[in-house]
Amino acid sequence: MKKHLAIFAAAIVCLVDLSSCGTTSLAPPPVTAELARVGTHQHVDLATLREGRVLFVSRCIECHTLPAVSQHGATEWPRLIDEMAGRANLKSTERDAVLAYILVAHSQSR
Amino acid sequence: MKTLRLLCILIFAFSPSVSFSGVRHFTFLYEAPTSARGSLELENWVTWKQITGPDRSDEVDFRHELEYGVTDNFQVSVYLADWFYESNKEHSGFTYSDSAIELIYNLTNPVDDPIGLSIYGEIKAGDRLVELESKLIAQKNLGPLIFAYNATIEAVWEEKELESREGEFSQAVGASYEISPRISAGIELLHEFVFPKWRDEEKIRNLFVGPNVSYRSGNWFVTVTALAQATDTDDEPDLQVRTIFGIGL
Repeated sequence: MKKHLAIFAAAIVCLVDLSSCGTTSLAPPPVTAELARVGTHQHVDLATLREGRVLFVSRCIECHTLPAVSQHGATEWPRLIDEMAGRANLKSTERDAVLAYILVAHSQSR
Repeated sequence: MKTLRLLCILIFAFSPSVSFSGVRHFTFLYEAPTSARGSLELENWVTWKQITGPDRSDEVDFRHELEYGVTDNFQVSVYLADWFYESNKEHSGFTYSDSAIELIYNLTNPVDDPIGLSIYGEIKAGDRLVELESKLIAQKNLGPLIFAYNATIEAVWEEKELESREGEFSQAVGASYEISPRISAGIELLHEFVFPKWRDEEKIRNLFVGPNVSYRSGNWFVTVTALAQATDTDDEPDLQVRTIFGIGL
């Protein structure tokens, strides 16, 4: 019995420990003033960037974990988003916001 | 039957575009994210349970579930039917068990917040069976890794005039690694505390552990988990394999 509880306690400790470290580095880049500046150059406003990020971290994880924005090229992202927008039930404006956020974050990550 | 038809009409009437509602990476654990608003999915569950030894028996449980995203944080599921096939020394055959309604509300996000949390409630009713279940679902996504934890409290009334009562507390923990955009694999661990007549005199504790694998493509997914019993409880399955096949409607 004690052994079973110990296994469970160890599993939970690992979970909590992992969640407290590395969270920020593994999450998609936040919408900062710097990202907003990059967005302005690409004619993407702050509200669209914020909406795109919220949708990216909430809708996309219903099916898969989130890839780093640098994992695919700027020309690949529109096709990938188009493929999955229907499955994620994104409206066209929401699809545009997700793509805009990813492309701005992608250009900043280079 | 009329209620079911009405439910289906309401679902389609209030969803301008119905799509996929999400992939399961685990089969004995729930995940914190809820379905997108307006998405609808049919899930079919098959669980094979085997008790070995002199009283060997096999049971295959089936579930057909419709899952619908009411808002981006709230989903409703209807278990259209839970039924099973059992085969042992005394009996073999199919039996209808129950139907149920399940509600999940998402509180926090597993990517952005320190822990993603959801709360879960379920009411199940069938032939000589009433069951209430509550769950706390915790999840953390770290890059390609998903960690999940469920704590569940269950109260069951069954048999003639619902005179048999049982309580159960269980906790489950799982990890899943995304090998490629289509394939994930991981491990699940389930720990049960059973309270016959809501008492703990018999000290029934069960521990199950085993691997899982999930494959997704287009608007469907399939996830399989095989759990072996790590304790020595006679009337609990020594091996159970659960498969969930989901398809977006």
